[in-house]
Amino acid sequence: MTDELLEEFASLYVMGMLEGLELAAFEAQLARDPALRQRVRELTEAASALAFHAPAAEPPSALRHRILARTAEVTPARPAAPVVAFRMPVWLPWAAAAVFALASGWFAQLYVAARAESAALRDLQAATDFELKSTKHQMEAERIIARQEVATARAGTGELNQALKLAREQAEASAIQLAAAQKLIAARDLQLSLETQRAADLEERAKREADLANFKIATLASLLGNSPQAVAVAVWNPARQEGVLRVEHLPPLTPDHDYQLWLIDPQYPIPVDGGVFTVNPATGDARVQFKADKPVKTVAKFAVSLERKGGVAKAEGPMVLLGP
Amino acid sequence: MFLLSPCWSLPAALLPPQPARLSRMKAPESLDLSAAVTARARADAELLGRSAQGDREAFAELYDRFARPLYSTALRITGNPAEAEDVLQDVFLTLWEKARAFEDSRGSAFAWAVTLTRHRAIDRVRQRSRRSELLSEATAEEAGTQPAPAGPDAAGALSASEHADAVRAAVKSLPPEQRRALELAFFDGLTQAEISAALRQPLGTVKARIRRGLIRLREIMGGHHD
Repeated sequence: MTDELLEEFASLYVMGMLEGLELAAFEAQLARDPALRQRVRELTEAASALAFHAPAAEPPSALRHRILARTAEVTPARPAAPVVAFRMPVWLPWAAAAVFALASGWFAQLYVAARAESAALRDLQAATDFELKSTKHQMEAERIIARQEVATARAGTGELNQALKLAREQAEASAIQLAAAQKLIAARDLQLSLETQRAADLEERAKREADLANFKIATLASLLGNSPQAVAVAVWNPARQEGVLRVEHLPPLTPDHDYQLWLIDPQYPIPVDGGVFTVNPATGDARVQFKADKPVKTVAKFAVSLERKGGVAKAEGPMVLLGP
Repeated sequence: MFLLSPCWSLPAALLPPQPARLSRMKAPESLDLSAAVTARARADAELLGRSAQGDREAFAELYDRFARPLYSTALRITGNPAEAEDVLQDVFLTLWEKARAFEDSRGSAFAWAVTLTRHRAIDRVRQRSRRSELLSEATAEEAGTQPAPAGPDAAGALSASEHADAVRAAVKSLPPEQRRALELAFFDGLTQAEISAALRQPLGTVKARIRRGLIRLREIMGGHHD
């Protein structure tokens, strides 16, 4: 061993830090090296100074009395009796030296081999530790990345769910608005229908009122001397080109005669035929719906004549009623 | 595992006092302390020799010289005053019983007593399975030292106190990293690997710090350097 290595071993030995093969090898060296023993002695003295480095504390005074009291019970032991020297054979020291040298060589070889193996094992352990640490770091990095990815995915899912929820809410709101709009439209349709109906009614009513306003109502007076009480009322609807004639107290007709109604329109040179009719023979009354045989624009007068059965195109018989 | 110093375990025939093989020279700054240490060691050896003859007064004086640093060491290691008392009693009874086996040439009485105290205290700590606690405590900052109360013998304590202060100053003069490594080994009984883990330093660095720290202490205490 080199001096420096011996110094290191001596220091560790003094501090009780040598173990196993190192301890055995050092003690073997110590047994045959007086200088090394002196060095160990000096280092032991130096190490004992560390006792003063402990936080100072005073032992209890009772302990001193207790220990000194115990010394009264125990007598210091005598050292072991000196070994009686015997006369050894001359060859014995040489044989012992040879055996010791062989044993030392063998132990040194064992020690060197064991140290090499120990160093290899330490290197292997260091490599294994490094690999283990690397694996741990890699696993930790992968774990962190995975956690980040999961967190990102969760955040994305959360945002998606939030958007979906918002879209659903908007859809529900839109559906509600649509239903309300549909109800409004239905209500407006109903109102429109009612208004349309009302407008139609109003139109019809106005039309009727307009028709009534345009109705021509005329009272026909008798032109007959024998029947002066005969009277007739004619109502003409110019829009529909039709009218109603009601007569009373006309003389009864003979079988070969009819009464014939005439509408006098200034646009025609002769009266327009309004049709033939008969009266109740008992009362001389009749109610007749009539139409003109050609378009009538304005009715200036109505007239009723007595004509042959079936009527004529142009008045030939006597005029029995005229008006107004 | 801690072993007793080889000075006490090897056959006496194998341990004749021999000069150091390496060349050494006196360190000028440590002359006073070296001389004081030598004088105290001589006085301690004389007291222990008288104790070996059954002189209880000499042993009482030896107790007064050793008790405080040994109790402080035991208390620092065990962290328990009752256990420190047990250790101290065990150590002094061992010194009393085996005083006749002491040989001045194999080391100082104080170094013997410190070695005994340290081993007994660490054994006690290990017996109550406090190894894991030691590991955690080893990394914690050491609490500040408390002033020692006045001893029973004021006249003798003055010299002892001065000596203790000088030695304590010598330890404190070590580079912090060397002192810390020595503390973990000496007081906490940690192995090389455990100190390496506690300090987060390579094993080789720990070994070097232990070696340099002890050599530096030896230079200061004994006036030697390589």
